[in-house]
Amino acid sequence: MSDTVDLPRVLVVARISWRSAFQGLRTWALGALSAISALVVLALVLDGASASNCENAAQSLFLLLTVRVVVGLVVLIVAVAQFRTDIEQDTLSHLSSRSVTRTEIALGKYLGSVGASLVFLVPAGIAPLLIAGFAGAPAPPTSVTAAILAIVLLATLAYAAFFLFLGLVTRNALLLGLIFLFLWEELVLLLPGDFPKLSLLYYLQSFANGEVTSGPFSGSLTGVSPALDAVAALVVMAFFVALTALLFRNVETAPQRTSA
Amino acid sequence: MTGIIDAEAATKRYGEVLGLNGFSATFGPGITGLIGPNGAGKSTLFRLLTAQLRLDGGRLDVLGHPAWGEGAFRRRIGYCPEHFALFDWMRGEEFVTALLRVDGFSREEAARRAASAIETVGLTGAKDRRLQVYSRGMRQRIKLAQAIAHDPELLLLDEPLNGVDPVGRATLLRLFQELARSGRHLVVSSHVLYEVERLTDQIVMISNGRALAQGDLHKIRELIDARPHTIELETPDPRGLARRIASWEHVVAIDFPGPGRLSVRSRTPDAFYRALPELVVRENISITALRSPDDNLEAVFRYLTE
Repeated sequence: MSDTVDLPRVLVVARISWRSAFQGLRTWALGALSAISALVVLALVLDGASASNCENAAQSLFLLLTVRVVVGLVVLIVAVAQFRTDIEQDTLSHLSSRSVTRTEIALGKYLGSVGASLVFLVPAGIAPLLIAGFAGAPAPPTSVTAAILAIVLLATLAYAAFFLFLGLVTRNALLLGLIFLFLWEELVLLLPGDFPKLSLLYYLQSFANGEVTSGPFSGSLTGVSPALDAVAALVVMAFFVALTALLFRNVETAPQRTSA
Repeated sequence: MTGIIDAEAATKRYGEVLGLNGFSATFGPGITGLIGPNGAGKSTLFRLLTAQLRLDGGRLDVLGHPAWGEGAFRRRIGYCPEHFALFDWMRGEEFVTALLRVDGFSREEAARRAASAIETVGLTGAKDRRLQVYSRGMRQRIKLAQAIAHDPELLLLDEPLNGVDPVGRATLLRLFQELARSGRHLVVSSHVLYEVERLTDQIVMISNGRALAQGDLHKIRELIDARPHTIELETPDPRGLARRIASWEHVVAIDFPGPGRLSVRSRTPDAFYRALPELVVRENISITALRSPDDNLEAVFRYLTE
């Protein structure tokens, strides 16, 4: 199998993958999951909570709910389906039997899953702050908005790479992804010493704390610079994207045999 | 070997199950029928040829390249899979266009080729409908459209007539013949033997993952010399005719399946077909019908697998 990568082909595969992520009930479920923070802040606004409370709630919900739960779940569901659903429904044959290379397919599916996830996650990160603004809260500092967008982007890039890899190598990718998100990521954070550094959440939270100096985002957790936090997430992304592309070149794409 | 497709002891295992079991065959130019019952290994062979599966042993080359390979030569191959799974959320024309764009065609060229291929398979009226509402016959046609849209040199068609209505079958058979006449090579699999028989004399017979026989249908029939050949005749005087041919050395059995009918089993059908006209002329015998049920693929396959 060759190493050729042709960007237009990658983008065509990405577009197909992106579109396929918005099919069926899954789209509504992901949309609802992504809207929880915004709905909570909206409820506070309607209940007459003060502007500062609404703003603090928006930022706290981002760190505690969006980053720790919503981002991982949305990316997991979108990215795992890219290979797994295609293999099990036998639609991958339409791509893998053509002249597009396996590396191009893997990169396209990665970009498609990142793009589809961001459609849900960017509003999930920003909408609560905007709604808090209706309560009279001053416009959030640019640093907060930028930090939210950066965290969403970094988390999506890294998680999508890992979950795409899981979707390629195992039929139990969804279960393993959930175990990773809610056991590994959460438990490792609680361990003493350097163990938390084995969690992606560590770097995402550290990035938020390092970038913003007031409100719930402030107060450096780790002392690691935001640049290093970003590099850590990008290294995870690069490693798993490369591993997925490499593996996919040697993987059979037909579903489990039903007949010869 | 220098065929369009060369297989030498090609073996594919699914755990304990053998999908292909030392399959050796050469597929030449033009149309070749790949004949075998369900589960014989036809789809496994196609999946190996399209790099969806990887050989466990032996060799399998397509257009001079190892089948487990990728790159530009794949654009010379069109593949119509047996399964009906499509990107159901797409519209017909969008599906074909997207796969052409994946193959590297520009947006404009892909749109032009998609429209042309869809017209060829007779789906222009349904090109804007979502694939999820397509019938099986329409799905089969849109699969064919994406297989021919990039004008490939070799078409791999896995049970391409499944789900297509009789009129559609006739249309598609004509299309396959036209494609072959224009220089394309086609490998058409089927378990409905008469369809392939109408399409080509060149066949590869597969059963249990092995090539049972390959080549011209009639030559394959000659290979089965251990089995007497059945010839059915209709004549006003079957008993009179039977008396005359009973002494022929190559005739091993004579039956009377019904009024005015005679069934003869001959060890050497060529000798029978030479001797019969002489007898008819010499004795002024009337024969109103003559047919050989053993000459169809169904009979050949039955003999080979018995």
